[in-house]
Amino acid sequence: MKKKMASLFLAAVMGSTVLAGCGSSKDAAQDTTAAAETTEAAAEDTAADAEDTAAAESTGDAVNLRMAWWGSQTRHDRTIAAIELYEKENPDVHIEYEFYSFDDYFTKLKTLVASDEVWDIFQLGGNFPEYMDKICPLDDYIDSGIVDVSKFSEANLATTQTTDGVQLGLTNGINTYGIAYEPAQFEAAGVDLPTDDWTWDDYKAAADAIAENTGNFGSSTFLTSDFIAGCSTYIGQQGSLGEYSFFNLDLTGMGFDDPQMLTPYIQMRADMINSGSYPDAGASAEVTNIENDFLVTGEAAMTWVAVNQFPTIYDACQDQGRTLALATVPKVTKDGNSGAMMQSSQMLCVSQDSENKEAAAAFISWFENSKECNEILQAERGIPANEDVRADLSANSTEGQKIMYDFVDKVSQFPTPDKINVLSPAGQDEVVDNYLNYIQQVASGELTAAEAADKTYADAEAIFQ
Amino acid sequence: MTAQTQQLKKKTWSRFLYSDETVGHVFAFPFIFGFICFSLIPIVMSFYYAFTNYSLGSKQATFVGAENFTRLLSDEIFWKSLTKTLQYVLFSVPLKLTFALLVAFVLTRSSKMVTLYRSLYYLPSLVGGSVAVALVWKQLFARKGLFNSILVDAGLSRINWFGDEALAIYPLILMSVWQFGSSMIIFAAGLKEIPESYYEAAEIDGANGVKRFFYITLPCLSPIILYNLIMQTISAFMTFTQAFIITGGGPNNSTMLYALYVYNQAFKYNNMGYACAMSWVMLIVMSLITLIIFKTSKMWVFSESES
Amino acid sequence: MKTKRVISKTLYHVLVLAFGFIMVYPVLWMISGSFKDNAEILRGTLSLIPQNLKLSNYTTGWSGFGGITFATFFKNSFVITTVATFGCVVSSALVAYALSRVKFRDRKFWFICMLATMMLPTQVIMIPQYLIYYRLGLVPGYVPLILPYFCGQAFFIYQMMQFMQGIPKELDEAAKIDGCSKYRIFTSIIFPLLKPSIVTTIIIQFYWKWDDYMGPLLYLSRPKSYTASIAIKLFADAASVTDYGAMFAMSTLSLIPVFLIFLVFNRYLVQGVGTSGLKG
Repeated sequence: MKKKMASLFLAAVMGSTVLAGCGSSKDAAQDTTAAAETTEAAAEDTAADAEDTAAAESTGDAVNLRMAWWGSQTRHDRTIAAIELYEKENPDVHIEYEFYSFDDYFTKLKTLVASDEVWDIFQLGGNFPEYMDKICPLDDYIDSGIVDVSKFSEANLATTQTTDGVQLGLTNGINTYGIAYEPAQFEAAGVDLPTDDWTWDDYKAAADAIAENTGNFGSSTFLTSDFIAGCSTYIGQQGSLGEYSFFNLDLTGMGFDDPQMLTPYIQMRADMINSGSYPDAGASAEVTNIENDFLVTGEAAMTWVAVNQFPTIYDACQDQGRTLALATVPKVTKDGNSGAMMQSSQMLCVSQDSENKEAAAAFISWFENSKECNEILQAERGIPANEDVRADLSANSTEGQKIMYDFVDKVSQFPTPDKINVLSPAGQDEVVDNYLNYIQQVASGELTAAEAADKTYADAEAIFQ
Repeated sequence: MTAQTQQLKKKTWSRFLYSDETVGHVFAFPFIFGFICFSLIPIVMSFYYAFTNYSLGSKQATFVGAENFTRLLSDEIFWKSLTKTLQYVLFSVPLKLTFALLVAFVLTRSSKMVTLYRSLYYLPSLVGGSVAVALVWKQLFARKGLFNSILVDAGLSRINWFGDEALAIYPLILMSVWQFGSSMIIFAAGLKEIPESYYEAAEIDGANGVKRFFYITLPCLSPIILYNLIMQTISAFMTFTQAFIITGGGPNNSTMLYALYVYNQAFKYNNMGYACAMSWVMLIVMSLITLIIFKTSKMWVFSESES
Repeated sequence: MKTKRVISKTLYHVLVLAFGFIMVYPVLWMISGSFKDNAEILRGTLSLIPQNLKLSNYTTGWSGFGGITFATFFKNSFVITTVATFGCVVSSALVAYALSRVKFRDRKFWFICMLATMMLPTQVIMIPQYLIYYRLGLVPGYVPLILPYFCGQAFFIYQMMQFMQGIPKELDEAAKIDGCSKYRIFTSIIFPLLKPSIVTTIIIQFYWKWDDYMGPLLYLSRPKSYTASIAIKLFADAASVTDYGAMFAMSTLSLIPVFLIFLVFNRYLVQGVGTSGLKG
């Protein structure tokens, strides 16, 4: 009986293959014609790949590189123009590029990691420890002269190094955090303008006064900056220079022992939410983008910025007839540490999956060092790390860009510890999301600030277990 | 070979070809093929991952036993997202279906304007979860948005929709109800299938509109209602886009729908193993609910082909 | 009596229209946004009339990225969507017939499998599925975006099953007596009678596929092969600049094909238009 059933099933399957054969071959035929006549793309995809491997194997001359990045329309257009320039200068190199919006880029990257086919040249932000296995360090290429870093300062190189000094990539732009503000609103509320050594108390007092006098938020919020630029910097500002950091330098554990070091900061945030000088959850949900941040819409006097965003909002406010300025992040004490760090906005890396690592490294070197290339890019990814390129670009910068350049010059003079940690560990996103929720819970009285500090600390510690 | 054996062979062949077993498998072949090739392996893999600490970035997967499941028990956000999702399903599905059925019923009359009206009502369902719609929706419920300006005009105080934990889910529910188009079309197709003669007979018997709706429309439509109920329940449990683009799960996780939390764990927090465990819990919950609907449906679904 | 009828009819139209306007208001807002500049969109004015008409959103939007215009993106979307929708209708009808009309042994089992495929979040199935197509050498390409639709879609299989329940069994019986095989019953009785269900499937599936964006994101890689759904998202970048005007403009254009499909097929869903064979 069982045998009969099995054979029946088998026969049925075979029968259906034959029968469905008519149906599906028709479908398939339609498939192919549709694909063939209307889009070369799919066919080209495979064809190009085949060509690529064949060419690379047989002649060794022509090189095909795959590259990807995320960004806006401006970035896409400029980067493509730069790639075309490179292809013109190096006729034997062909670059296949892909571009996405931020979230999509990382979704795509994760699939490519799973299938071991990460693009030869790819862009990464501060979250690279997750992808460490896929990054091919540049040290060998720097030694052999393929990658030129002669115009990069040590500090700028360090923004894309591990704490052991392995060069993971070259930065696309130097970045640091600051507070963008509108002086007119400070004056209207009768509050002193921020100074380079202002403290969190000054900051809170100013924000509260502005909220009270103008009805605006004292400070706006933007995405997760509050954790990285605020909370985590707050830890580095305590103790002696380099004594504490949020995560330790090797990203193996915490960089401070007492969770209560976080409490005052969390308390301040919750108090500001309750006094209306900082947006509550509902208001912060309305901010989707740096362009509709409350500072830009005129509903707040300050906001966090990664300084490469400053020219954008400066221009946006200028169009409305308003002027913005840029202040340093407040400190714990007037003469204490700034906690400020020079960071990389993003970097370009060579992938371990690449079959043409050398050619990829050469492109990265050109991308960061070539004046012609950077004239096309116009520092859209942040302040160029190559000193010459930077000097070149800052010579004809806009007002907003000039403030940004000056600000970075100033902050880079601040004393910094010998060793800093510019990486964020995998799993930080979860800590940040929880942290933001705890602040809301403190504001609504569900938690005390001390409990929130303990919980945040425990969440962060859990990453390393 | 004699003609007799040939005939016999032909006969067995045709008996085989036309047997229910063969016919069934032939027709079901596309699904069976697709299921075995493209669904089965991923489903089995996700089940295996549920017992590992697999993460997408690092690709490592170590067997951790039931750890992911025990971790769920103490995960506050998991419980919160489960209750919020249930709340979402309980509100959005009945509202959406009632609305869809009502509109479909009102708009089946053969009138020149019906096509236009139906287009109006269907249009919102064509904009899906686009960034543009997310922006509009945020704008409507913003502190100074349309809803609040109406409230202020009416002398009431503003409502902080996205800032209030208890309220934030309602704009999402409303958005799901707003996009009732696909259910409406399916109802419309079902209504068209109800023979005109039934209504004519009822009219002769003196049944008014309401009576006709309850005694003819509803019973005849019951298989379609069951279908929409099950599908909308499943897709409501799977809702991701609304929460992802409008609230991002906030405030304080009060709109953290289950699928969004699964996504966060899998892609944002890099805990694919944990996300798989959550998915299987979801599968069990949904199977139970579907089973309950199926069991109770025997009492109210009227099937033409079996009666 | 006559005036009463006129009043009630007018009331019906007024109510339906008024409510319809509320329904489409957000869509209209998006369309009007495609004529506004970024600042006006972000200011969040609820007015539908742009302060100064900005038609350039359409030209900048259409110009696309790196020399690839939206003509390419729309064309790609159209091909994928049409082929997939066709496959979905045919295969779903076949499978639905098997599961609802043919009493073969393991049909309950396959029915449960079918429902189960809908109950696991796509987020966890996505990557393993990608790996299968990758191993088969089908990535990047259109095949993974189309092939599954030739294997039946649970949502529509089940829908057609429910509609088949409404087709009296007597028709099958009669045909059987006339000597029709089950194959013939499907092609000459069931499939034609399924028309309303097929029409809904076309309308809904066309839109879903048109709007689908995770699939193209994972399985396409060259910008030339992107679909409109991906391309529209390319205007947005949370960390820098988003060209809302251009994005709204292209979103508006992207509405047209799906809306047209709806208009074309909607006619078949109105009572009194077309006959369904069941009546009279």
